[in-house]
Amino acid sequence: MSRIIGIDLGTTNSCVAVLDDRGQPEILAGADGERTTPSWVSWTPQNQVSVGIRARRQGVTNAAATVFGAKRLIGRKVNADDVSWFARLAPFRIVAAPNGDAWVRVNGQPISPQEIAAHVLRRMRAIAEEALGEPVTRAVVTVPAYFDDAQRQATRDAGTIAGLDIIRILNEPTAAALAYGAHRASSGRRVIAVFDLGGGTFDISIMSVDNGIFEVLATGGDTALGGEDWDRRFLERLVDEIFDKHRVDLTTIPMAISRLREACEEAKKQLSTQNEATIALPFLANDHSGAPINYDRTVTREHVEGLTKDLLDRLEAPCLRALADAGLAANQVEEVLLVGGMTRWPAVQATVERIYKRKPSKGANPDEVVAAGAAAYAGILSGDADDAALLDVTPHDIGIRVGDSQFAVVVPRNSMLPVRARRVFATTAENQKFVSIELYQGESTEVAKNRKLGQITLDDLPPGPPGSVRVELVITVDVESLLSVVARESKTGRQTTVTIRPSGGLSAREIVEIIARRREETSVANFPPIDPNSGGVRVTTREHMVAKPDDEE
Amino acid sequence: MAAGALSIKLRCASWQQLSTIYRRDLSRGAMFLKASTPPTVGTEVRIDLTLPSDTVITLTGVVEKHVVDPARGSGVELRLAPIPESSVWLIESALASESKVRAKTDAVGGAVPVSTTPQQTGVIGSLTDGEDVALAERELVAALGSEVESLKKLNPFLVLGVGYEAADADVRAAFGELTKRYHPDRFARYQSTDLRQTAAEIFILIRDAYRKIGDEVSRAQVLQQLGRTPSPRAVPNPRATPPPVPRPPIKRPPTADPSAPPVARTGPVATIPSHQPERPTPNPTVPLPNSQSQPVPSIREQPGPPARPTPKPQMPPEQRPVPNLQTERRPVLASPPPLDSLDPSQLDDMLDSGRIDDALAAFKVLSKKQPTDRTFRAGIELCEGLRSLAQRDRLEAAQRFEAALEIDPSNERAARELAEMRRQATNERKGLLSRLMGKKE
Repeated sequence: MSRIIGIDLGTTNSCVAVLDDRGQPEILAGADGERTTPSWVSWTPQNQVSVGIRARRQGVTNAAATVFGAKRLIGRKVNADDVSWFARLAPFRIVAAPNGDAWVRVNGQPISPQEIAAHVLRRMRAIAEEALGEPVTRAVVTVPAYFDDAQRQATRDAGTIAGLDIIRILNEPTAAALAYGAHRASSGRRVIAVFDLGGGTFDISIMSVDNGIFEVLATGGDTALGGEDWDRRFLERLVDEIFDKHRVDLTTIPMAISRLREACEEAKKQLSTQNEATIALPFLANDHSGAPINYDRTVTREHVEGLTKDLLDRLEAPCLRALADAGLAANQVEEVLLVGGMTRWPAVQATVERIYKRKPSKGANPDEVVAAGAAAYAGILSGDADDAALLDVTPHDIGIRVGDSQFAVVVPRNSMLPVRARRVFATTAENQKFVSIELYQGESTEVAKNRKLGQITLDDLPPGPPGSVRVELVITVDVESLLSVVARESKTGRQTTVTIRPSGGLSAREIVEIIARRREETSVANFPPIDPNSGGVRVTTREHMVAKPDDEE
Repeated sequence: MAAGALSIKLRCASWQQLSTIYRRDLSRGAMFLKASTPPTVGTEVRIDLTLPSDTVITLTGVVEKHVVDPARGSGVELRLAPIPESSVWLIESALASESKVRAKTDAVGGAVPVSTTPQQTGVIGSLTDGEDVALAERELVAALGSEVESLKKLNPFLVLGVGYEAADADVRAAFGELTKRYHPDRFARYQSTDLRQTAAEIFILIRDAYRKIGDEVSRAQVLQQLGRTPSPRAVPNPRATPPPVPRPPIKRPPTADPSAPPVARTGPVATIPSHQPERPTPNPTVPLPNSQSQPVPSIREQPGPPARPTPKPQMPPEQRPVPNLQTERRPVLASPPPLDSLDPSQLDDMLDSGRIDDALAAFKVLSKKQPTDRTFRAGIELCEGLRSLAQRDRLEAAQRFEAALEIDPSNERAARELAEMRRQATNERKGLLSRLMGKKE
């Protein structure tokens, strides 16, 4: 039986795992023994693509054509606050696609983040195929719990482009809890908090683990807060210092900013365990007289902590809200699990301890636990692990526009999936002919601040004064977070149904075009191409086929 | 798809096979199907092509003409509708990786035998398999569907199978057990989306029940609505008050024999040697997965004897000793009370201890005395149903239980028995499907 791989598609690093024969998650290492792969993609001037550590190495010499952090852009609009912040300091260009999505421009070509993520996914798939010795077509891919439908769909589209059948999108903290709980003897119900601060996103999930049942009680977070923000804060300060001293703006010199960025990240890692780190970058740039700037500076942990204090503060509100949503007090959380590289930062750990009033556990490897959990979930889906089940929730409120600008919630956030919710609405006008129901996702009471999911119209309403006609709305969200909506007028029973297909920004046609390009590039010389319009030639095979009437379809 | 369209499951056991199909068929937008009784030209055909990695790609096509090939017999040629680019890419990239992986193992091992006629391997078996799987999936959907119907009639306590005096932990444990069985993820490995949807319906019912009685406050409310106070007498709870008989009210011991009667209602049970009882009549609402005795109209031609034995669709009741119940003589409690002076709790006791014939007699007497009381008439149906169940006549039993509920919708025992029968039917079909798919249960 072929295996389903679990992929942690991270902002900075990605990781792939599979269940071994004993049902234990196993991290699959690449050819050089690397267990995680940088989520970096680089293009040479000849448009040769490299992925992973090789791409990352080009980050300095080929900065403008080396892309990282695509996960921050995927399924996002270019005018979102954090996207523009990210764009300001990114050494590559971030541009707006015709629909306003954030894309990057490399070698003069606009490239969607989906395509970049697809390169990383394909690399992870290749690592798995090498390790397993068989083709892999199915994967469970993790995303931050707080990703909205557009970001999730965009990630799915990336899988399609990579030739992967993504059978399920799994939330990262849930994956971490699964990996964590899977190898623990059941000892009654435990409430745990999974605190996941990765490269680009922050997620907090409160879960209960009880005899193989993993139930998410509440989830929250910030899709635009992660380790790279610490790097960036630090980097900005150093850039300012250099500007003050030498009057040189490093943000205009891609190679210099890339070197400095690398050095900042390295220094941050050192400062997680030491109090001091030195950044030494000879010939970083030239000043206005043409003399080289040999940068050499010692930084202390205290200094960086001072620069990033407000980032720590942003961690608190989502944690408290998740607790409130779960109906629990901080001291009812029995264990706090740390996930994501940034949780190695001492000040982050101190913040976690302050919020939950207990020391967080550091048992699991924060870089690998998510991929391991994805593999464990793949085992549940394939039926290999049958004593566990995962009960996940909707991360955002789902509702409709009422009146001019209000948001009426139908499915509250943190509802256990699958879920079905009903709500009855009334017409607002005399002899109203139809209602147009617009569905939104988000937390704001103002509908404009939430994200539109789709629309459904119910017409031919019976005449009557305002409020006399009742429309019942039933929203069903399945385990894959797919939404179906039924609107029914109570008296006549007239109804319409719509299944909402989330859009990740790329149209089906665009995805097909990207795939077609990829098919051309990839050597599939062994296989004659499929011409969808052909059909003139008939060839029979020796396959014995069985067919039978099927009345049910 | 229009009625009359054909649905075919085609499983590729190896990448080699897929490669062959790709070259010969897919790449030319056509497909040859062998068929002894070919469908008419213009028939729509849907093919679920399962890759060796278990990804399913759906192809659609139309029968274009009938052909007779001297080597392969008669069949039809399909013109395939355009295959989505993403599916093509999935196949191509998998084949590309496969050839890369194989090239590598060839280079390393040197002696990996590559079959020269890969297209002849294993296809027949997996195709037959595919058909059985499709049938088994549909039957499982039907079984789950009737479970949805019966669960809808139950109150939250009965949905979860807990007693009215259950505590938080009991409710949670019951919910956890049912979740492991009915969460849609448990059905993710099957191809049928109907399966997942129906399972989701059941899960939503289970989850709603859990939400209603998951904590003490809401549980008290529900109890009040049901007109009950938490009393251990209401329904014997398997956990709180272990009944003197080994049979808990809802959860039967997981017997592999689906049609075995509910075991051991009485103390001493006679065992009859295994003879050949009649095969239970299929219940129309939950048809038995009896693929052997139902020749499916097919355009297949079975080439010679089947390539591999068809998996036994039903674990045969005839192979195990069947505990015999009410029909046998057995020790009865000394001097039963006069039948017409029984109160409901005594009747409950009778049923609990499996004295169905006694209870039936009592219900009959009581019903004659008070012909307007629905409880007693429902009780008669219930007892008849239990008797039928003991005789493994599940069709009759189901009808009796339904009749009991019709007369008296508050008859919990009937509702419970019905739900339990449906649950067992589901389990059987799940087991069958798992066996067909070569998975452990």
